[in-house]
Amino acid sequence: MSYLDLIHLDKAFDGVTAVRDFNLQVEQGEFVSLLGPSGCGKTTTLRMVAGFETPNKGSIFLAGTDITSVPPNHRGMGMVFQSYALFPNMTAWNNVAFGLRVARLSTSAINKRVTELLDMVGLSDAGHKYSTELSGGQQQRVALARALAIEPKVLLLDEPLSALDAVVRVSLRHEIRRIQTTLGITTIYVTHDQEEALSISDRVVVMRRAVIEQIGTPEEIYVQPVTHFVATFVGTINQFPGILVDASRGLVANNNRNWTISAQPVPDGELKEGDAVNVLIRPDEIRVSHTETVVNEENRLTAVIKAITLLGAVTRLNLDFDGQPVIADIKTVDRGRFILDEPVQLSFTREACHVMPDIEPVSRGI
Amino acid sequence: MAAMKKKYSFLTGIVIGSFLFYMLLPIVATYVFSIATRWDRTILPEGLTLEWYKVAFADDWFFIVFKNSLVLSISTVLVSVIIIVPTAYWVHLRNPKARPLFDLISIIPFAIPGVVLALGLIRLYAHPPLMIGRTPAMLVAAYVIFTMPFMYRPVINSLEAVNIRVLTEAAQSLGSSWLRTITQVILPNILPGMLNGGLLVFAIIFGEFTIATFLVGARFKTFPMQLVYFTRRDGRIASAYTVISFTIAWVSSLIILWVVTWGAKRTSMRNTQHTKGLFAGDVVEQK
Amino acid sequence: MSRLKTLAMNWIPLLPFLILCLAIMILPLFFMLRGSFTGSNGEFTLEHYAKMRAPIYAVSFKNSILLSGLTAILGVILGTVIGYFIFQLISKRSKELMTALCDVTSNFSGAPLAFAFIIVLGSNGVLTLALQKYLSWEIYPTFSIYSFWGLVLAYTYFQLPLMVLLIIPAIAGLKREWREAAYGMGANSHQYWRYVGIPVLTPAILSGLLLLFANSFGAFATAYTLTEFRYPLVTLQLGFLLTGEVFRDPGAGDAMGILTLIMMGISILFYQLAARRGRKWQQ
Repeated sequence: MSYLDLIHLDKAFDGVTAVRDFNLQVEQGEFVSLLGPSGCGKTTTLRMVAGFETPNKGSIFLAGTDITSVPPNHRGMGMVFQSYALFPNMTAWNNVAFGLRVARLSTSAINKRVTELLDMVGLSDAGHKYSTELSGGQQQRVALARALAIEPKVLLLDEPLSALDAVVRVSLRHEIRRIQTTLGITTIYVTHDQEEALSISDRVVVMRRAVIEQIGTPEEIYVQPVTHFVATFVGTINQFPGILVDASRGLVANNNRNWTISAQPVPDGELKEGDAVNVLIRPDEIRVSHTETVVNEENRLTAVIKAITLLGAVTRLNLDFDGQPVIADIKTVDRGRFILDEPVQLSFTREACHVMPDIEPVSRGI
Repeated sequence: MAAMKKKYSFLTGIVIGSFLFYMLLPIVATYVFSIATRWDRTILPEGLTLEWYKVAFADDWFFIVFKNSLVLSISTVLVSVIIIVPTAYWVHLRNPKARPLFDLISIIPFAIPGVVLALGLIRLYAHPPLMIGRTPAMLVAAYVIFTMPFMYRPVINSLEAVNIRVLTEAAQSLGSSWLRTITQVILPNILPGMLNGGLLVFAIIFGEFTIATFLVGARFKTFPMQLVYFTRRDGRIASAYTVISFTIAWVSSLIILWVVTWGAKRTSMRNTQHTKGLFAGDVVEQK
Repeated sequence: MSRLKTLAMNWIPLLPFLILCLAIMILPLFFMLRGSFTGSNGEFTLEHYAKMRAPIYAVSFKNSILLSGLTAILGVILGTVIGYFIFQLISKRSKELMTALCDVTSNFSGAPLAFAFIIVLGSNGVLTLALQKYLSWEIYPTFSIYSFWGLVLAYTYFQLPLMVLLIIPAIAGLKREWREAAYGMGANSHQYWRYVGIPVLTPAILSGLLLLFANSFGAFATAYTLTEFRYPLVTLQLGFLLTGEVFRDPGAGDAMGILTLIMMGISILFYQLAARRGRKWQQ
């Protein structure tokens, strides 16, 4: 058993399933994100852990104890809400002290702890302010301090940064991670922003329509997506529709477009020869070179550059491969080598190709 | 567009001036009349005196009716708070499905004039076998319903403005018991709404004439009833009563305005103008 | 936790309030409704409603509708105009003061107001005497504060500030940019008001009309103080039926009460609809 166990959790509202058969084991000190589009069930799952929703089926174990029917004010979990939920009738100081007063700590202990926490979140001189006098980012930091004050066994964050502007979001998420690592608190973080999840989590749980699509490290999620949804939801990805011609050699062909791609061999079971599939390839795994260049990747094709967009350190090329749109990313320093309407060579390894069943089998003239 | 740049046009002066004249003349005239020795023959009062107030206060009845109205107002406020505030809280937080029903209920009293309510209550409760109709207790019950929108709306708006649901969850996540959550988190944040409602109810009931007259009549004389009595008997005493009645009304109004502004600052409801306008639109006073 | 039990738990705390509403609002009105259709022997009858055609009742309804309609229209027109001018005031302080004044005066109604008007425009009233002296204008006996027009003046007094308070948020909602955009497209002031300004203000004006009508129709104390039961108005007639220990003609009272409720109910219903629409546009 791990520190926090979520076992076969089910939850429905008025007959509509919000979470179905959710299973997750979280180690102590781990930072896990629940990532997915709105309505996927991530917030409901978090609220079940907090105790604000009761699962219809399944159980929740914390350090070996079954807490499924324990009321929320006895679970010892700190929660940070999307809307901050600071008590408007109290100063920042009193907000942070609230949980400590509930625990009946001595005044000196409370003072010490509150000072410590306000320092930790960088608001040592804002203790006397009310929530209306604080900016969004400051309010969220007070909310974090308040949740951490009670030394919770688990820290729960429900899209804490979505109400803040972009710059604040980036700096605050790193601060949250830094504090979490320093304190070693087991954390569950809900977000719909995949960049956020990937950049600060130990593991990511990708959810969609009440079910888990994949659990893995950020790298696993990005480089080895196991479902079509995970591949397309996280980051950008190219989709080449075709037919699986040879499973043991991982060959996918599109006769109308006249190409064959060598992917990794497809294991038995899911797909068989003749099935309509998509080959998914990340833009950063496509090498772009001039047509005469000799490359050693197994897959080579020629496409025409239709647009060159500078995104920062990365430049995105939009190419046309005989009617099929392709996106390839190159380092910005290399962008001088390519011009618009120039035919170029795209090459990629078989490991870069992920073969997935075509989820919407519309005739693409195959 | 040049005309818009001028500080105040002549037209603005006339319009606002006439408006102020219409509004202030009756008020000023009444105040002056109450301290005038005699003022029914000349443009200006013939002399000034506090005689009429002295006479009014000398009458035992003054204190009886004042006390009665005070008791009625305060009782109505207390009963309203005890019944309506927890109800609004429950509807907002625990039974949101009931919200449409309660929103509907909260505007029905506007459609029931005082006379009609009195009629209905007397028909039902002032005949055998239910002879409880003509008691002050029944009057308070009627008043609570009559002013219910003025207590319900501000409280439920308050609950929404501070998002009581999330605050309650936050308090729970920090280990708070129900009692602590109610006293330290919920009540302080709906206090402006409660004060607003309470003051409004107080002011309305203190000046309420119609229902009181028909329901309890001479059994429990109220301040407005005595005022009307004097309008037929002695206009100068009546004016003293009017001054007192009106002063209480506008002092309450000003306190309400102040509370609304103070409450808005607290809960960062930026659009106070919106609140006031909304509120005024809901005001259907007893006339 | 069975579903029935959860359902009960959700509604039980609401019972005290609901029971009070039932006892004070729903039941009396229900019995009034029933009584209006019940004859002296307990049988179903429409005679009470037929009675409403008798002059005493019909005239009361006519007068009440006339008085309410007139003061509503006056209140709306004057209130809108005055609201507009108040809104144009430059200093924020003045605007706040005027709004506070309206808040206060809209509460000045009923017997105290009636009496104030007697002081001002009674047969020996201040204004009456002033008009006599300075303009040689004897308003009595053509005009009397104790008549229909006196009531109009008194009612308008509290209708006016109410409308001002209603219309100012609506006027504030007329974003300056709309006017600028309209002028930029070549419209003149007249066209702006016709195609943008007035349509946007319409929900507020309509809701004001309905609210003021209902407000006036249900008023009692002001009229009673001025005219006692002498002037035929619906509310006064109802009051008259309630005086004395013996209940005169309960059936007629019920019928009048129900008709009044129908009128008020419809007005308030449409007021809510118009006001809700107006609030959306004010965001």
